[in-house]
Amino acid sequence: MLLSGLEFGGTTALREVAQQREVDARPGTAPAVLGVRHLSKSFGPVTALRNVSLDISPGEIHGICGENGAGKSTLVKILTGVYRPDAGNIFVNGAVVSIATPRQAQEQGIAIVAQELSLCPDLSVEDNIWLGSLRVPFLHKRPELRRRAAEALNLLGAGYIALDAPVATLGMGERQLVEIARLLTRDARVLILDEPTATLTDVEIERIFAALLAVKREGRSVLYITHRLAEVYTICDRVTVLRNGELVATRSREELDRGMLIEMMLGRPSGEMYPQETPTHGASALHVEGLSLPGVVTDFAMNARSGEIVCIAGQVGSGAAEIVAALAGLVHDADGRVTLDGKPLKLGSAVRAAQRGIMYVSGDRAAEGVFRRLSVLHNLAATRLREFSLFGFLRGGALRAIASRIAHRIGIDRRRLRSRADELSGGNQQKLAFGRCLERRTGSVLLMNEPTRGIDVGARAEIYRLMRSFCEEGYTLVMASSDLEEILGVGDIIITLYRGRRVGRYARGEVTMHRIVADITHPMEPRA
Amino acid sequence: MSEQALSAGWRHAWRLSLPYSRRGRILFAIRAAAVLILIAAAVSTPGFFTAVSLFSLLNTTSFIGCVAIGMTFITLSGNIMSFALGATLSTSGMVFMAALPLGLTAALLTAMAFGAAITGFQGAVIGYFRANPIIVSMAALALITGGATLITQGQGIYPQGDAAAALRGHIFGVPMPLAAFIATVVVVQVVLSFTRFGRQLYMVGSNWRAALASGLEPARIVLGAYVGAGLCTAVAGILMAARYSSGDLELGLGYDYSAISAVLVGGTSIVGGEGSAVRTLVGAFIIAICQVLLLLHGFSTQIQYLCIGVIVLFVIMVQTLAEGE
Amino acid sequence: MDVRSLFTNRSARPYGLLLLIAVLLWVLDGGRGLFLTPATLFSVLQQFATIGPIALGLGLSMIIREFDLSVGGMLSLSGCIAVLTGAQYPALGVALAVLFGVIWGSFQGAIMVWLRLGSIGVTLGGLLTLGGLAYVVTGNLSITYPRMDVALAVNQPILYVFSLRSLIALGAFLIAAFFMARTRGGRDVYATGSDRRAALVSGVRTDAIIPAVFACSGALAALSGSLLSYSLAAASGVALTDALVPATAAAIIGGVSLTGGKGTPLGVVGGVLVLCLLSAGLNAVGTPPAVQDVVTGGVLFIVAVVDAVDLGPRLFAIRRALTKSF
Repeated sequence: MLLSGLEFGGTTALREVAQQREVDARPGTAPAVLGVRHLSKSFGPVTALRNVSLDISPGEIHGICGENGAGKSTLVKILTGVYRPDAGNIFVNGAVVSIATPRQAQEQGIAIVAQELSLCPDLSVEDNIWLGSLRVPFLHKRPELRRRAAEALNLLGAGYIALDAPVATLGMGERQLVEIARLLTRDARVLILDEPTATLTDVEIERIFAALLAVKREGRSVLYITHRLAEVYTICDRVTVLRNGELVATRSREELDRGMLIEMMLGRPSGEMYPQETPTHGASALHVEGLSLPGVVTDFAMNARSGEIVCIAGQVGSGAAEIVAALAGLVHDADGRVTLDGKPLKLGSAVRAAQRGIMYVSGDRAAEGVFRRLSVLHNLAATRLREFSLFGFLRGGALRAIASRIAHRIGIDRRRLRSRADELSGGNQQKLAFGRCLERRTGSVLLMNEPTRGIDVGARAEIYRLMRSFCEEGYTLVMASSDLEEILGVGDIIITLYRGRRVGRYARGEVTMHRIVADITHPMEPRA
Repeated sequence: MSEQALSAGWRHAWRLSLPYSRRGRILFAIRAAAVLILIAAAVSTPGFFTAVSLFSLLNTTSFIGCVAIGMTFITLSGNIMSFALGATLSTSGMVFMAALPLGLTAALLTAMAFGAAITGFQGAVIGYFRANPIIVSMAALALITGGATLITQGQGIYPQGDAAAALRGHIFGVPMPLAAFIATVVVVQVVLSFTRFGRQLYMVGSNWRAALASGLEPARIVLGAYVGAGLCTAVAGILMAARYSSGDLELGLGYDYSAISAVLVGGTSIVGGEGSAVRTLVGAFIIAICQVLLLLHGFSTQIQYLCIGVIVLFVIMVQTLAEGE
Repeated sequence: MDVRSLFTNRSARPYGLLLLIAVLLWVLDGGRGLFLTPATLFSVLQQFATIGPIALGLGLSMIIREFDLSVGGMLSLSGCIAVLTGAQYPALGVALAVLFGVIWGSFQGAIMVWLRLGSIGVTLGGLLTLGGLAYVVTGNLSITYPRMDVALAVNQPILYVFSLRSLIALGAFLIAAFFMARTRGGRDVYATGSDRRAALVSGVRTDAIIPAVFACSGALAALSGSLLSYSLAAASGVALTDALVPATAAAIIGGVSLTGGKGTPLGVVGGVLVLCLLSAGLNAVGTPPAVQDVVTGGVLFIVAVVDAVDLGPRLFAIRRALTKSF
C-alpha cells in the first residue's frame, strides 16, 4: 500500500479528476440507477476501500474486477447493508440513500448473491427462495409464489430440484442455483452477483449468463464481481478495476484488452508476490492412493515429495478442501491408502495424524485455526506443550523463549505476545496458525486449506515466503485452494479436481490458467 | 523445576493475568473498583466482622465456593454449566456418611471417587460423543436424584459414631470448610496456570476444532475437566455432611445456580476459554459480602436473593460491553 | 407416509414413543383396569396443562438456537401476579401475568440483541431475578387465592378428560402450530435458528424475531403459572426450577434440536404427552415417584446421546476398528 502511494502520490488529484470526467462522460445519459461517491472503509489498520466512486447505468451489466483483497467484497457488503462506510455516499437514482441493514438494501431495490451462500439449511428450497423478500404476505404459502419459484429454477435449468427439499440435502452447485433463483425473483433494480460461478459447470454458467441478459433486456442492471477474465469479456458492458481498495479505472468492454486488464488488476509483475522455487526435492514423503470420501471424493491419488508444494485446485465444493482435511484426520469416514515416510497412516483420527507429524492450517481461522481469546503466546505455544513440560508442569520460561523467537520469524512484534489473538489483523492471525507449525521437532507434512482467504496482499506475500521456508526445512506442503492465481504462483505440482475426481496433474510451468479453469469446470474424462 | 524458574513462573503468570488491551484494562479497573467499594462498604458497616450470621455465611460460601470451583472447570472447557453438581454434592455426602464405618480416610477416598466417577461419566459422554452438556447434566440430575431416593427410601443417612468430628473443627484457627475452600482454590489455580492440562483446557474451551488441529485430544481434556469438577463437589459434599452430621438429598438444593452465579460474577466467560479459579473465589466472596451487607442494613433474605439475580444480570452485561465484540 | 419416515421424522418420533409406552403400560397393567381409565387420561392432560406451555415456549427458544432458563422463575412469579390481581376478575389476573411475561421476555431478548449476548447468561440472571422477585412479593409465605370457585372451575372435567386448563394449553399449541407452519413469521423463526447470519443477510429481521420468541416463551410460562396458581388456589415463592427439566425433556423428545431450526409445536405436544403419560402411568401402576425421575432422566439421556454430534463418527471408528481386526 505504501508502494502504490509512492507510485501515484503526486498524481492522486489528477486521477480523481480523470475519474470524475469518465463518470460524467459515459455514453447513455440516463441517470445512474446506483452510484457511490468517495466511499471508504477501514477495519482497524487495514484499509479495505479508499475513495471509490462509480456509477451503474440502467440496463447495464457492470463488471468489477480485482484480485483477492482488492476490496470487491467490501464494496458489495456496503451496498447491501452489511457494512457501514466510514466515509462517502450511496446514490439511488440520483438521491442520497442510507443503507444500514440488508432489508433496507432490498427496499432500495438492491439484491445480491454473495460468495458465502445465505441459505438456511433446514428450510425448503421454496422457503429459501422467498426468504426475506418484502413481497411475501403473512400467510406465505401461496400457489403463485410457488409457481414463480419454479419458473426461476427452470430458467436456470434447475427445474429438477424439488421445491420442498430441505436445502441441506442439495449439493454446492445446486445451492448456488437456488441462490440465483432467489435473486431472479426479487424485483431488484440492481442485481449483484459476487463470484457466482465458483461452484458451477460451464453449462450452468451459460444458463446464468442467458438469464442475466434477459434481466438486462428488462432494463434492470447487474453488478458482476469476478476475477475470471474470460467472463468479463463474455458478459460485461463496462468493467471497473479495483486494486488495494482503490479504483484504478472504469472502461467499456471495447476499450479494454486482456493485457491492460491484468496489469491494472495486479499492478506489478506477478513474480514479485511469489518467491522462487527451491530446486531440491527429497524422496516421496506422502503417497495417497484410492482416497474416497463418501459423497464427496472418489478415488483420489497423489504423490508429494519433501521440499515440494503440491496444490490441489478445485472450485468450492469440488472436494479439494475435504481431501486436505481428510489427510489431517479430520474426516471420520475417509477411506484409502495413505503412506507417510514409508509407513501407512490411518485416516479418521486427528490425534493420530498429529502424532505422525502432520500439521494443519485452515483458512477458516475463526472455526479451525486460531484461539481467539487466548494470547499470541498461548497460540504459538499450542503445539509445543508436551515438549516443554516436566511432570505435567509447563516450563514457562522456555515456552516464552521459543514463542518469542517464532513471533520474530513470522513477522509479529514480540511486544504483542501478551495481546489476545483476536486483536491482530486477519493476516497476522493466520501467521499465528503457521507459526504453530514452525520448528516442530516431529513435523513433516503441512496441510493447508485456503490459507490466504480474506487476507490482504502484504500478509499474503509473507505467508508465501513462510511456505517456502518450510520447504527449505524439508517439509512437504499440500495446499487446497480455489484461488487460481495463487496456485499458479506457488505450486510446484498442480492437481486439478472436478466434483471429487482428479482431472489432471501438472508440474510448474507446464500449465496455463486457461487449462486449469477448463479442468475444474468441465465434466470430462479424467486424465493421468 | 528450579527455584528461579518457579518464581519467574509466578511473576509471569501474574503478569499474564493482567490484561494487555485497553478494553481489558477498563474491564479490570471496573472490577477492581467494584471490589474495593464493596470492601469499603463492608468495613464501614458496623457489626460486619462480628455478626453471628457472618460465621454461618462464611461456611455456606465455602461450600458454594467449592462447588463453584468445580463449575469453573466445566465452564472453562466450553460446556457452560452443569445442573447436576448440587445433586452430586448431596450424594457424595451420603456416600461419605455411609462409608464412615470403614474409617475416615477410606470414607473420604470413597466419596471423592464417587463424585469423580459420576461427574466423569457425564464428561465422557459430553467429550467423546459431544452430546449437549446442558441436557446431559439435566438427565444426570434426574437419574442421580431418583436413584438416590430409591436406594435410601427417602431417608437421610446418619453416621454411626463420630468419626467425622475432625472435619467440623478448625485448622490453624480457620474453620475447616473455609480452609478446604482456599486449599481447593490454590490447587485448582496451580493446575490451571502451570500445568499442561490446564493450558490445554483453555485451548479446548476456546476453540475445539483448533485444539484438534493443534494435536490435542479434546475429548480427554473435557473428561478431565468433569472429573475435576466431581472432585471439588465431593469435597464440598463431604464437609457439608460432616457439618450437618447427615447425608441428605436436601443439602445440595439450589447449589447449581449459586455456583454458576459465583463463576459468572467472578468474570469467567460463559462460553469458555477464559477465566480462573481465583476469579471464582472473588465472585463467591462478592456475593457473600453483598448478602451480609444487605442483611446488616435490614433487608430480608428475599431481597438478598433478588439482588444476587440482578447482580448476575448486570455483571454479564458489563462484561460483554467492556469486552467489545 | 411410509413406516421409515415415521421414525426419521423428528416430529413424528414422540408419537411412536407414545404408542410404545402406552402398549408397555397396558401390558404391565395386565388387564387390572388400573391404567386405561379416563381418570388417568385426565391426570395426564392436567399435567400437560402445566408442563405443555412451558415446553412450547422453551422449544421455541431452542428452535432459534437459544435457551430460556428463566421459565421456572416466570412460572412462580406469574402465579403470584395472577393471585394478587385476579381476586375480582380472574381473567384480568391471567392477562396481567401474561402481559408481564411478554414484557420480561422482550426485555431479555432485547438485551441479547443489543449486547449480542448468548441467552444462557441473560436468562440465568433473569431466572434468579424473577425467582427473587417472587420471593420478595410473597415474603416467603404462600399467598392464598380467595376464589375457590375459580380454582374448581379451571380444573372441572370437561368431556371426562379435558379441563379448562388443558383446553387452553391445547389451544396455545394449535395457534403456535398454525403460526409456525403457515405464516411468514414462523418461517422466519426457523430461518433465524437454522442459520442466523444467512437469515439476516437475506433480509429477515432477526433482531425483532429474537425478542419476540422470548416474549412468547415468557407469555407461555406466565399462562401456565397463573392458571396453575388458580388451580392450587395459592401462589408460592419457591421458584419452580424443577419445571425446567421436564420441559426440556419434553421439547427434546418432541423433536426440537438444540442446534436450532428443527422441531414443531405438534412434535412438542407429543413429547409432553410422552412424559406425562409415563408419569401418570407409572403412578397408576403403583411405582414410587422416584422411578419417574429415573425414567425421565434415562429417556433424556438416551435422546441426548442419540442426538450427539460425534456419535456417528465414534461409532463408525469403532465399527471400522472391529471389522479391520477380523
